[in-house]
Formats: sequence, C-alpha cells, structure tokens
Amino acid sequence: MGVIQYVAKRVGLYLAVLFIGVTITFFLPRLLPTNPIDAYIGQIQSRANGVLSADAIAQLRQNLEELYGLKGNLFSQYVGYLNRVIFHLDFGPSFTYYPTPVSGMILNALPWTLGLLLVSTVIAWVLGNLVGVVAGYFHTRRAATVLEVVGILLYPIPYYILAVSVILLLAYVIPIFPLSPTFPVGDLSLQMVGSIIYNSTLPALTLVLAGFGWNILSMKALAVATTEEPYVTFARLKGTSNWTRMVRYVFRNAMLPQVTALALSLGTVFNGALLTEILFSYPGVGLIMRTAASSGDYNVLYGAITLSILAVATAGLVIDLIYPLLDPRIRHR
Amino acid sequence: MARLTAYLLAPVLGALMGTMAFAQTMTDVGTPRNETLVVQTFDGKAANPDQQNPLNAYAIWRGFRELGWSFLWEMDTATGNSYPELAAGPVEVLNPEHTKFRVKLRQGVYWSDGVEFTADDVVYTLDTAFKYKDKLTFVSTYVNYVKSWKQVDKYTVDIETINPAYDFQTVMGVYSWGSLFVPVPKHIFEKAADVTTFKNPNPVTLGPYTVKAYDPNGFWQLWQLRDDWQRSGWGNLGKPGPKYVLYKDFGAEETRTLAFVQNQYDEDTFMSPDSIQAAQAKNPAIQTFSPKMPFNDMNDACSYGVYINQQKAPFDKPEVRWALALSLDLQTVGITAVNGQFKAAALPISDTPITNPSFYKPLLPFLKELKLADGYQPFNDKFADDLVNKLKDQGVDAASLPTGDDVAKGYGEGWWKFDPAEAEKLLGSVGIKKGGDGFYTLPDGSPWTIELVIPSDWNKVMQRVGFSIADSWKKAGFNVTARQADNGEFNTVQNTNSKFSIMVNWSNTCVYNANFLNSWRTFNKDNVKDVNSNDPLNGNYLRETDPAVFALVADATKRETTSPEFLADGQKIATALVTGMAEINLMNIPTTIPTNSYYWTNYPKADNFYAAPYTWWSSFKKTIVNIKPTGKQ
Repeated sequence: MGVIQYVAKRVGLYLAVLFIGVTITFFLPRLLPTNPIDAYIGQIQSRANGVLSADAIAQLRQNLEELYGLKGNLFSQYVGYLNRVIFHLDFGPSFTYYPTPVSGMILNALPWTLGLLLVSTVIAWVLGNLVGVVAGYFHTRRAATVLEVVGILLYPIPYYILAVSVILLLAYVIPIFPLSPTFPVGDLSLQMVGSIIYNSTLPALTLVLAGFGWNILSMKALAVATTEEPYVTFARLKGTSNWTRMVRYVFRNAMLPQVTALALSLGTVFNGALLTEILFSYPGVGLIMRTAASSGDYNVLYGAITLSILAVATAGLVIDLIYPLLDPRIRHR
Repeated sequence: MARLTAYLLAPVLGALMGTMAFAQTMTDVGTPRNETLVVQTFDGKAANPDQQNPLNAYAIWRGFRELGWSFLWEMDTATGNSYPELAAGPVEVLNPEHTKFRVKLRQGVYWSDGVEFTADDVVYTLDTAFKYKDKLTFVSTYVNYVKSWKQVDKYTVDIETINPAYDFQTVMGVYSWGSLFVPVPKHIFEKAADVTTFKNPNPVTLGPYTVKAYDPNGFWQLWQLRDDWQRSGWGNLGKPGPKYVLYKDFGAEETRTLAFVQNQYDEDTFMSPDSIQAAQAKNPAIQTFSPKMPFNDMNDACSYGVYINQQKAPFDKPEVRWALALSLDLQTVGITAVNGQFKAAALPISDTPITNPSFYKPLLPFLKELKLADGYQPFNDKFADDLVNKLKDQGVDAASLPTGDDVAKGYGEGWWKFDPAEAEKLLGSVGIKKGGDGFYTLPDGSPWTIELVIPSDWNKVMQRVGFSIADSWKKAGFNVTARQADNGEFNTVQNTNSKFSIMVNWSNTCVYNANFLNSWRTFNKDNVKDVNSNDPLNGNYLRETDPAVFALVADATKRETTSPEFLADGQKIATALVTGMAEINLMNIPTTIPTNSYYWTNYPKADNFYAAPYTWWSSFKKTIVNIKPTGKQ
C-alpha cells in the first residue's frame, strides 16, 4: 500500500468515526429520561409562589422550545444540529444556564482540564515506564521486585481512597497544600502561574500516583517478555552493555504499545476527571458534563462529548500516521 | 555563656511572639479573616459565574439575593410577617376587587454607584420584562401576575394584577427564600446593547454589598461592604457585621469537614450529622443548630413526603394509601436515614414555630379523633415520646435528648401508628392480599410491584430517606424497589401522569406562614389530566381531584391571607388531604447548618431564632447585621 493510500484510508476512517460519533451524540442524550424544559420549568415553578397558570406554563414551554432550538421534528433538529456543529462548531446556548453559550463554558474549563490531566498523564507515563523497564529488565534481582511492589501497591488502590489519603496527609496532618484551591483572578502573571501550580499540585499528585502503578506493571510485563526475545540474547552475546540492551533493545520495542496507550489516554483527558474535580474543587470539563447529564442539558453534552470524540479520534489518527515511523514492521506491510 | 545566650535570644523570641500575637490571618482571597464571613456555597460550583443579570438565569447561589439585591418587601423569617424593604410601607389596595395597588418607595435609597433608586427603575424593570418576556427566562412569574403599571411620581407606582391578589407583597416581594421581582438599575441596563444577553458582570447593587471579585470558574465570590451602606436598600436594618463576605465551595464533604475544623469557614449548608460530630470532636467552636437533639434546623418552608398518584390503580383507593402510611415505620426510617434528627409532620406541611399555631395546634384534636372507614384511629400522639425512648434504648445520651414540652417541639406533635396488621386489613378490604412469597398481590392475583422514585445523590437526605422507606415497606410485605432519578428526570416523573406512581417529594408541600396558597393554589381542575397522559402537569403534584378542595382553594384566593376565613379554608384543605391520605407527609426538611464560632458569633440558632439560618435565603441579611466578631485574629 502506498503512503498516499495509507494516509487517505486512515483519514477516511477518521472522518467516518467523527460523523458516526457526532450522530450518536445527537441521539443519545434524547434517550435520557430527562427533559431539559421540564427541568427548567420545575425550577421556575418552585420559585413562582404557585402563581403561574397552565396557560402561562404552556407559553413558557413554547418560548423555551424556541430558545433551545427544540422546535420541529427530530430529523429537522438533527439536520440543524449537523449544520451548526460541522460547519460552525456552534453548540448553541446551555439550556440550564441560558443564554450562556456552551462553547464559552467548555472553553473556560478546558485549559484547566488539559493543564492538569496532560501534565499528570505524561508524568505518570514517563515515571511509570522508566521504573517499569528497570523492574522488567532486571526482573531476576531483588531490587527489581521492590520496584514492582510499588506498582502492585499503588495500582489497586481506589482513586477515591488514594485522593482522600493524600489530602489528609498533605493538607491536614502536614498542611503544605490547600484543602480546596483558590485560584487567583486577574491578568496572567508569574505570581499567578505560581499560585495555579501550587493549587494544582495536590490533585496532580494523586493522578500521577494513580496512573503510575499501572504504567509500572504494564511496562514491566512488556520488558520481561522483550528481554527474552532472540535479538536481545543476540545483543548480549555480542557483548553489548546492560544499559545499551535495556534502553536500545528492550525499552524501544516494549514502548510501542505504551505509546498507543499514552495517545489514547491523552485523547480521553478531554473528558475531564470528575472525581478529582469533585474532591479537589478543581475546575474542569468533568463537572460540567456531570451537571449537564443530570439536568438533560443536551447542548452542553453535545459540546463536551463531541470534543472528546474529536480528541480520541484525532489521537488514534495521529498514532496511525506516526506508527510506521516508530515501527518499521508496519512500514514493510 | 548560657546567660549571654538567654540575653541574646530574649529579644528575638519576644519579637517573634509579638509578631505572632498580632499576625493577622488572611483568607485565600486576600482579605483579613476576622473581617470576612466565609460561607459554603449552596450549589457547590456555579456553572455561569459571570451571568449576573437577574432577568435571566444567573449565578443565583453566590450571594446576590442575600447581599446584592434588594426587594420591595422582605420576609421576617422568625415570625412569618412581611415587612417593607424598598417599599415605604405595606402595599395600598386601590379597589375592592383587589386588583389595583399602589407601591410607595422609600426615599433616600441609592444604587452602589451613587444614583438614586426611584420609581423609574421599577417601571423600567417591568417594561423590560414584558417587552422581552419571550427571551428573558427569569421574569415569567411576575409577567403572568401583573397586568399593567403606571408611574405616579418619582417614588410611587400603581400596579394592576391580572387576577384578584391578596398576596401582592409576597409575590412582588419575598415569601421565603427571595423574590423573582428584582429591580434593575435603569441607568445601567438601558445602555446594554441587548438586555436579553446582557450579563451584568460586577453589578451595580441596591444591597449594602458589591461584588469585589469572583472566580470565573465559579468556586467563589467575594462581596465587600459599601461605604454608603446606610443608604442601601436595607441599610436601615442595622450595620452589617462583616466588611467582606466570601461565598466559597470547599469541595466534597470530606474536605469541607477538614476545612471547617481548620476554621477556614464559618457556616455550612447540608453537612451530614456524622461529619458534624467528627468536626465537633476536633473543634469545639463548631456548633449545631440546636444544642439538643434533634440538632438539625427544621424551619424550611417545605416538608418531605411520599407523593402518590391518586388517579392510578391501586393507589386510587384511600385504603391503599392509608395502608402504605400505616406500614411505614417512620421512627426507624428517621433513625436510619437521618440519625434520629427529624421532626415528624403528619399534616401536608412543615410543623414549624410559625405554622404550628395556624395548623398543627388547631388541628391536633382532628388528628387525634380521626377514624378510618372501619373505625380505626390511626394517629399516634405519643410518637415523639416513643421516639425519644427508642433513641435512649439505642444508647443515645439522655442528656442530649429533649424533655417535657421540648419533646413535641423537637420531634413533632405526632404521626401515624406503625401497624402493618391494620394495613393488611385495609388492603384485604379492597382485594389486595399477601401471596405465597409474602408480598401483596393485586386483586386479580397478579404480583404487585411498586417502584418508588427517589432523588439520586443531588439530594442525599431524601435519597437516604427514600431507601429507608422502601426497606420499611418491603418488610411489611410490599414488593418495592427504590429507583434513583437525577433532578431533571425527577421533575419529568413528578409532572407526568403516565410516568408517575409514587415518589418521595417536597415541592407541593411548601408553606412558610399562614399563606398556604403559595403551595396549594395549584389544586384546581386545570391541573388534572388523564391518568395515562404524557402531557406535563403544571402543579397539583399530589394529583388531588376532590372538587371540594378545589372550591376551598378558589374561595381562599378571594380572601385576605391574614383573615380567619382564609386560615379556615387552609385548615379544611389540610383535613381533606389527610382524611384521604393524599400524601404521606413525613417530616420537616432537616437542614443541618453547622456554624463555626471561632471568628463570628450570634448566628441564628434554635434558642436564638431571630431569622431562618439559611445562607442561601435573602433573610440571611438578618444574620449579617446580627453576627458579632469574636476578636480572634
């Protein structure tokens, strides 16, 4: 298969995935047993001292259908949605917080989500893989077992327990970090950046610890298997050093599935980290999606899920496109 | 050498200690802690913090109603009486039909930017709301209440209502938590390019505080006292204690509890009894609402109850509804779900110091004498005493339990007997009998399964109460499953006959004072739909169909809400609802509201009830002017 054919096939698949994903995203929230207009009217009624007549509610319902873009049959709404999303990347206003635009809500939250999750995912991946390859390459030695134990201990701890333990230790018993962050407002400055890093350290630390264990265990397993490969044995017989064999022969080859996992992990960071956001009062996409799902705020769900689909699909495409560069076997196929 | 060292160290240590003595603790937002009242936000994080226009859905839980806005009339939540705030006095009624009113405004009230508040602002607000009523989402109440208006002079507005109105002050002003009619500054809003999308950031306010800063991520908002607070909308109430008020979300209950222990904030909202107890063990400054059990505040306008679709078989039979009530072991439910900290309420409203003299005390003889069709007397007026004894038996410290008259004040006037045998008899009378598996079957012999809809974790107290009720019924022979619903779905179930059989709810049982119409006005034939209808209801969530009740509601709408005839209508409605067991009312909404007295004292408490203790009601202004600094740095 030629390069152009390969790329065209991957891009075609990518676009198909996006279209199917966007379509499913449109219909899925409508299967929820939640009606955003009922939810909003319920709020209004609870504050209306019972003065709203049936006619007034009917009029309000009609106005909201108009404002929310829920008028017309499902097909016409779907066509309108595709037009807005594909050609204008416009998700309309939030139903619950009308007239706040969805794009504004997501764009406000996204830098926080990306800042926290990208950094913590990459740190956990790098540290985990480094420790994992050492533990795997020297798996017959006792010191390597100790490293593996770190992974075995950390990996199964439920994130909630891990996070609360870290909070207790570093924000209460030894109060180095704040229990709940207070991010400063105003123009960006060095002091502000420092404050953001300080306030984000604790949630980032828990995410690193949570991701770290899995990376150690998976890389260790891959490294052990790779160490037994004939080309590693051949390299040892050639007289190469341990360092060379571990880094150039074992690590490079064992890393390939880990790169795929990293790329997919990076794609999913757009979903946010709900539990982290709740426990640490951290701003992010996760909380927005949670609120939108519970109140039937379709537009916010469309925005957040579409972004996530776009990110995961793009990560998959990038992996597909760069894999031949990392793995010569694919180039030869 | 040692002496020399001591001489050298003494001034250093002295300076250090001096610094420590005078070191002032600062809040995370840079204000002196002892000048800042810090409260936990009601809703956690705000999704639209920069939306501060009260004509649209806005960041309502960030202190606007409490500190920023001002209303025509406010509610004294300690007495249930309305009092003038922006208005110069009570509303003047201009015609015998009670449709024309004169509102005179207090003179000398100024917006935070120094412009005087006048009738121009009231008229502009009404003009704008009506002009854009199709696009503004927070004006529907008063645009469907007011018919026309006319400015009489700089401080007077005449307003005509669509229907005869005896609740003008509590619809155009505050009934319980705040008012939907929020006057906006004409001189600011008329300059907005599009008032329907205008966000009104850092708004010009009528209240004595202005927004000093807010978190664009929605976790906190800081208010600062105006220099000219005396000429603000409620400056006449007294000097606000704190210079700053910070609304902040301290996160999940775990982190909130730790922050409370560290004196990082002063007032919470709904903290679980377990967390309060744990926090109190670490910090004696943390206090519950009441010094004795039940420790919780019980003064909310609404009550929790089991709402039943009275139109749907087999719930359409009063025998079935009564059987469910008599099979519900409320003492166990209350102990399991809320640690025994609840106030039982048998009538379809809360039993508060305000509603008690109007409804509970006068109707106590009715409750005691009530007989079902078979002559059975279902009321247990010893419910509270029994509960206290049960709590003692379970090891609760007797010193923490109420005695004498305080038992009824704490745990209510009584509730229904727990009598599954009588329930079985009632069900048998309508053909419902237990099957071989121990569960009741329908008259045709088919299994009777009940799905009890309860809130998911967006209302943890109701969620726990719901699970516990399902457990109680299951033990009594009802094949019940509790299904959790998110708040959006919860409203849909509540509103839609075809989806609703039975649920735990509160929204149709909210009465703060003698004016029951606030909640029961929707009992009318327009709010009755076919049992299988998919069309949403607009109230009457109890599915009341009794024409006698409708007639009483219609009669009440033509009476002064403070008149004995009006109250008599309300009492008759309450007795009708109870007689038919239209709703199994359970308890007042228990809100915990723990406070921390390290930096501030004199919060509203059970023994110092100068206002409802809620930081998310506009009556919080009473707290603001009553709390005192402790002087701690």
